Amino acid sequence: MALPNQGTVDYPSFKLVIVGDGGTGKTTFVKRHLTGEFEKKYEPTIGVEVHPLDFTTNCGKIRFYCWDTAGQEKFGGLRDGYYIHGQCAIIMFDVTSRLTYKNVPTWHRDLCRVCENIPIVLCGNKVDVKNRQVKAKQVTFHRKKNLQYYEISAKSNYNFEKPFLYLARKLAGDPNLHFVEAVALKPPEVPIDLAMQQQHEAELAAAAAQPLPDDDDDLIE
Amino acid sequence: MADKEPVVDRPEDEEEASAAAAAAGGEEEDTGAQVAPIVRLEEVAVTTGEEDEDVLLDMKAKLYRFDKEGNQWKERGTGTVKLLKHKENGKVRLVMRQAKTLKICANHLVASTTKMQEHAGSDKSCVWHAADFADGELKEEMFAIRFGSVENCKKFKDLVEEISESLAKTEGKETEEDSSAAGLLEKLSVTEKKSEEVATKEESTEAVKETDTKSAATSE
Repeated sequence: MALPNQGTVDYPSFKLVIVGDGGTGKTTFVKRHLTGEFEKKYEPTIGVEVHPLDFTTNCGKIRFYCWDTAGQEKFGGLRDGYYIHGQCAIIMFDVTSRLTYKNVPTWHRDLCRVCENIPIVLCGNKVDVKNRQVKAKQVTFHRKKNLQYYEISAKSNYNFEKPFLYLARKLAGDPNLHFVEAVALKPPEVPIDLAMQQQHEAELAAAAAQPLPDDDDDLIE
Repeated sequence: MADKEPVVDRPEDEEEASAAAAAAGGEEEDTGAQVAPIVRLEEVAVTTGEEDEDVLLDMKAKLYRFDKEGNQWKERGTGTVKLLKHKENGKVRLVMRQAKTLKICANHLVASTTKMQEHAGSDKSCVWHAADFADGELKEEMFAIRFGSVENCKKFKDLVEEISESLAKTEGKETEEDSSAAGLLEKLSVTEKKSEEVATKEESTEAVKETDTKSAATSE
């Protein structure tokens, strides 16, 4: 994979291809894992964006190179050229849009032409939205094609770790593999700078006046 | 376009009932294909980095970081925040982990300069500045944290402030000792000044003598 920032790491890494219609939440899902933020604004992905995602398991660290692909045809770039050497995949659809589920078979077909016999997770995103159009009961494609299915919400973080855990277990052949605490390194001491401290306090006072993102307090039990 | 899809009864209902039962039992059904594993991973000893620390506080919360470019708060993670005290050196740090993935979203020492401010819009939240080490390199961040209740927020805020005030007192004592040393240095400086003054006087005396000599010569 001759892309920049593809420096090798001394622990196992995998190419994960993420496909699905535009607007289903592929990029938002990846960002949620990368930075923790929930991106509301929709910006179509052009071609592909590759992001390394590390997880710490009971069997050590692993990395997924997430190939977040364009869902809109006009921004497809190399299209299925991005699938080459994919070792696992996620197909994303939006449970509030029937069309995105109808198109899943096409994504699956194109993916399987390039990547044979790789573990694939089908994700129904946006299950936090009340008025969903595709009911859980109606999702049956995964059984016909031997995919794993998870209902997820990138917004509420419901099941958001499940696709990665499932794929990791399959790639390692270990159904008991699980995520463990990442190591919290000891932070170094920081020298006190009085001038900087005053600036920080001023910045903090201004920031304290900015609203926190709208969210549901119920998320914190 | 506005037509609703007809609801079709599916023969897979029984399968789904089984799946639902499995889910209810807490076990997930694996509908994925059998694939050959491509790596072999051995179990390793888990180290969290917290082995040398006592837990002072452990609460569920939601963390935000301030994005200066966008002038807005952005979510950083939802999970558990801990205040941890080192068993030997007594230093306290804050560590927050994302639920489920257990990745680190905040990791910084509580310093004497750590000040908790209330967030304007919520009495379950507070904000502070920290040099964060979550990504393994120091980064100046402004954090906001939201708790499930006002009580929990108060517990967190009060404990952090208690710790930073305690540190400030300890550092204050050290500062006084430094002031005494500075005083001694000042005395040395004064002594040096006096020496210089004496030297200056001597030079002046010699200058006067030279003038007298010139005057005498002129008179003759």
